[in-house]
Amino acid sequence: MPQRSIDAFKVLSDYEYAATLTNEEWLSLSGNPEYHTLIADDPSLAEELIARFGMLVPGFSAALAAAASVPLTGFGPTVNRLAGRGGGSAAPSNAEFSIVGTSVPRTHGFGVVTGVGRYSENQTLPNMLFMKTLGSPYPHARIRSIDTSKAEALPGVHYILHRFNLPEGYQDVSLGSGPPFRYLFNEELIQVGAPVAVVAADSDHIGDEAIRQIQVDYEVLPAVVDFMEGTRPSTPKQWDNRLDGTILTIASPFVRGDVERGFAEADIVIENVTSMSTIQHAALELTTDLTWWSTEGARPQLTQIGPKRHAHGARSAIAQALKVDQSQVRVITPGYLGMSFGSFRDTDLPEIHSALLSWLTGRPIRFMSTRSEDMVTRTHRTQTRNESKIGVKRDGSITAFFTKKYGNAGAYRGGGGTGNSLGLAELYTIPNLRQENIDVFTNMYRYGSYRCTTHPNDTLAREPLIERAAYAINMNPLDFRLRNLSEVGNPETRRPFSNPGIRDTITQTAAAIGWREKWHAPKTREVRPGVFHGIGMACHECNHGAGGAPSTGSVVINADGTLTVVSGAAEVGPGERTVMAMIAAETLGIPMNRTRISPDVDSDFTADTGVTAGSRQTLSGGWGIHLAALDARAQLLDWGARKFVDDARVAGQTIQVSADQLDVRDGLVSFKDDPERRLPIAQVIAFASNPIIGRGAHIHPPTWERVAFATHAAEVEVDTVTGTISVTKYVAAHDVGRALNRMATEQQIEGGVIVGLGLALTEQLLVDGATGIPINDNILDYKVPTIKDVPEKIDVIMVENAKEYGVFGAHGIGEPPAALGFSVMVNAVYNAVGVWVEDMPLTREKVLNALKGR
Amino acid sequence: MKTFELHDATTVQQAVTLLGQLGPTAKVLGGGSDLISGVMKDWIQGKGMPLPSALVDITTIPQMTTIQVSGSGARIGAAATLTSIIEHQEIRRGWPLLVDATESVASPLIRNFGTLGGNINQRPRCWFLRGEKFDCYKKGGDFCFAVTGDNRYHAIIGGELCYIVHPSDTATALVALSAKTKIAGPQGEREVAFDEYFIGPRTDVLRENILQQNELMTEVSLPPLASNTKTAWIKLKDRQVYDFALVSVAAVVTSENGVWRDGRIVLGGVSPVPYRAKVVEDALQGKDIRANITAAAGAIRSVARPMSANSYKVDIAQGLIERAVLQALA
Ligand SMILES: Cc1cc2nc3c(=O)[nH]c(=O)nc-3n(C[C@H](O)[C@H](O)[C@H](O)COP(=O)(O)OP(=O)(O)OC[C@H]3O[C@@H](n4cnc5c(N)ncnc54)[C@H](O)[C@@H]3O)c2cc1C
Ligand code: SF4
Repeated sequence: MPQRSIDAFKVLSDYEYAATLTNEEWLSLSGNPEYHTLIADDPSLAEELIARFGMLVPGFSAALAAAASVPLTGFGPTVNRLAGRGGGSAAPSNAEFSIVGTSVPRTHGFGVVTGVGRYSENQTLPNMLFMKTLGSPYPHARIRSIDTSKAEALPGVHYILHRFNLPEGYQDVSLGSGPPFRYLFNEELIQVGAPVAVVAADSDHIGDEAIRQIQVDYEVLPAVVDFMEGTRPSTPKQWDNRLDGTILTIASPFVRGDVERGFAEADIVIENVTSMSTIQHAALELTTDLTWWSTEGARPQLTQIGPKRHAHGARSAIAQALKVDQSQVRVITPGYLGMSFGSFRDTDLPEIHSALLSWLTGRPIRFMSTRSEDMVTRTHRTQTRNESKIGVKRDGSITAFFTKKYGNAGAYRGGGGTGNSLGLAELYTIPNLRQENIDVFTNMYRYGSYRCTTHPNDTLAREPLIERAAYAINMNPLDFRLRNLSEVGNPETRRPFSNPGIRDTITQTAAAIGWREKWHAPKTREVRPGVFHGIGMACHECNHGAGGAPSTGSVVINADGTLTVVSGAAEVGPGERTVMAMIAAETLGIPMNRTRISPDVDSDFTADTGVTAGSRQTLSGGWGIHLAALDARAQLLDWGARKFVDDARVAGQTIQVSADQLDVRDGLVSFKDDPERRLPIAQVIAFASNPIIGRGAHIHPPTWERVAFATHAAEVEVDTVTGTISVTKYVAAHDVGRALNRMATEQQIEGGVIVGLGLALTEQLLVDGATGIPINDNILDYKVPTIKDVPEKIDVIMVENAKEYGVFGAHGIGEPPAALGFSVMVNAVYNAVGVWVEDMPLTREKVLNALKGR
Repeated sequence: MKTFELHDATTVQQAVTLLGQLGPTAKVLGGGSDLISGVMKDWIQGKGMPLPSALVDITTIPQMTTIQVSGSGARIGAAATLTSIIEHQEIRRGWPLLVDATESVASPLIRNFGTLGGNINQRPRCWFLRGEKFDCYKKGGDFCFAVTGDNRYHAIIGGELCYIVHPSDTATALVALSAKTKIAGPQGEREVAFDEYFIGPRTDVLRENILQQNELMTEVSLPPLASNTKTAWIKLKDRQVYDFALVSVAAVVTSENGVWRDGRIVLGGVSPVPYRAKVVEDALQGKDIRANITAAAGAIRSVARPMSANSYKVDIAQGLIERAVLQALA
């Protein structure tokens, strides 16, 4: 059989296709970076695959399977709500920790707030050249010819690389899945900004002039700009597609019960259409890489420094694209970076172009995106359209829920932001449920994660409709939610929640915002002429923050008793590195001021602990470090015991001491029953002759339904003259399991709320409908809120229902805080002015048009 | 960015001479916050909008950065920064409208760089104009993308061929304040009222004002406010920092016992020029303002010709005119 390239996305979404894979092909998947990114973002994808294909699936482990085969106990309506919420059996109180649960300032905060930290942009090498990309001006076109002679004649231009002079062997290299394929340079360009040629020049400015001197003859082809248009049979196909138009996938529907029967049983059936615009991370730091080859030793070695969220993933992606061994690639991610917020920094074409140009010119290559390149050619959370329907009885019960979601995948073969909503499956009791998902290719912005993948859209497809249903039966939306809350776990897999805090997030949010006093009938509280008060709420559940493999770490206890923490967990902004250090220090009883972790991750010096995505690193890298610290602790206590024995021997005594009699706290090894008998760690290490090296690798058993819970509520004032929505109060409650770093957790939630509000109110990346060309690919016209636009006070509530599966009970918090803003705003605006505006963002023209019935 | 020559002028005369010598692709440089970090960085060019090959810096001309206030009004050098206007105590006392409008521009960072002349003469922000790939009328092309495309921020009054809105907040305030400007050129200096300064696309689609390539604006003069005159500034924007006016209103109201005697209502963000709402002023003439403002503000609808996606701006303009006039009275 001829070798074919394996479509990771298809394996995860189309089980018929997966069934055709050979053993070798399954094996090749384990080295496929796209596969790992997809399952890091949504671990449930791999679980489904494992359920069907067992040990063939990368990530399958015998230990996991054994754990999964144990019949679940404790699945039921009450048993799992551990007694004494926030302090269940497995949950020691914060008082028992010395570092965990306190507020620890960022280990590298000084470099961040002063800018003296070494960012990618600060990294230079003598002799480096600058790379500039000539991108396609059209969403869909074919290159007839390229003439680079004028550009080459410009002084300071060193090399121009394009489709027709690619070195031998690289013509067939593509990133991600296909068709349509994304080759290093396509002849058929499928997106505005798709690379036509790259230039290596003495400066950015020379490169900038040079790309405009390259003459390209394009044949313009019909493009799909509107994703709903892509679903029509009449839309021209862009590859040999069995489905209509440019539809990529129609997923097998999720079916529970019988929705038709459920709707028939309902007293009231309500439908809505919610939709999302394309949004982009707009990280302040532009994507910047420095890439060079060195030829010491027998084989050429490539190094790339850049603001990545996964050094080891980048290493494997680069190695694969360049057709070299992973041992020939070294990737360094500086811990100083202008944020990640999702996948847009994962290895893409410029990172590979830089490597090739560096090889061809023999010089280091520095690449820095323009703002427009960052906003157009990398990933986004793209448009979705959700057609939803709920059936309710007057007594407040839900009889059925149906959603059909369309997602715009953009110019690549992959997901488009749809998926089965976990929140629908397990947040409320819904006996009849059906979910359908359709992803569509367009010659547009590509999909990827942005502070969560599909979950914010899941919540948007559910929560406004929940609220509509409550209004329809004259029930307070708060009571409606509490009445229908399901706190058991997943009804399909029968995996239980661990100590779920969803009810607490709802009741505490309601109390903090004064829901009972402030909620009123729609458009009944005019606070100033033309300005109305409103209040709205939303609940959220998603499987982010759960962690998963790879999950590794190591620690070193040095000769002076200090601790070095070695983790492959990339810092992307929220303080991952600080939390790794805290976990190690807590476990080892060594104070934070004697603990060190480097800001950067170097793939040469660390083991892979997966991508910093899916809010997973606190549990993934965290478990690895925790186990490494436990390993080191056991060795330390063992040497401690020997040292006590030896000290006694020198003093002419004979005693027997074993490790389990000892403890380590505040840098001292001591007897549990006699803390005054103690030794500084340094003395133990001196006695051991070697530093202690601890290592950890964790397998996350599938015992629990590991999910994040949250409830947000807001009060708004809506100005019916200007359409302005002002948020006057915002409350965000999250079940965080345990807040390991109190301050960082709180900031993460606050920051998420701000992001969520920006996305809900002003941010949307647009294109000109006629030409498919972006029109606001800059941060002036793409309106990210400023500090003057955010609510003065955001009340953060951390519900700490410690989780059985968490490091010290924690559950990850990265993405969820940004997921509720959409729904909270829709609901609050309805309460204020009595119109449902459910197309994101809630711009003033939409609000005013709805009020005018336009 | 394209390579360019930079010349520091030290006198107005020298600047004019340089502009003449360097030819049609030479341009006056203020703080550069629009010209360099906007137009040139983004390669905004076309047949009718060549990228500058030479820049003549006028912030190096000492007399052009000063501000003087006397009984007969204020004189502000065109190269004075926006921040220096905001911080000038006598300007703050005498012309709070200009100060409020200036303070609503962009951000402190840009106001520290941006000059008054640069703010008044900055190029429009139409997102098609600012996109390298759209060759529209204003760049010398033969199409207006706003007519068929997303025109939510475009003109609702006075568009024709081109539907930009004038971007400058200070310009809106200066028209309301009956200000004038001095222009220096090869023939010497002339004074022009801002009423005559801005031109619409019907007059010349390639320009927003009467300034010729070899001329520069040297100063702006403000007459003192008449007695019984109060002012107000409202600027609606989607974001409180770094955002242009969706609709702005500069109101100058001279009244007696609540009756409109004289004044100006000027709108920003609605038209290719700062738009004087004469229809509204006329509807108020000689009338009790509070009793008649709602109906008078509604008169703006009679001149508005919204595009496919911006009729909401008409509602907003009407609402804000009313609010601004009432705010001036308060
Ligand atoms: C993110 C952002 C947000 C902004 N928001 C606003 C806003 O809300 N409101 C607003 O009004 N503006 C806004 N601006 C525009 C900003 O205020 C202008 O860029 C600035 O005022 C221009 O001043 P400058 O001195 O830097 O002009 P320059 O960039 O130097 O020049 C601008 C133009 O004016 C010409 N010019 C300059 N001085 C003279 C002169 N003396 N005589 C003749 N021609 C001259 C130049 O040739 C050039 O064409 C914003 C700009 C940015 C980048
Ligand atoms: S409105 Fe004016 S500047 Fe904008 S596209 Fe049309 S012609 Fe060009």
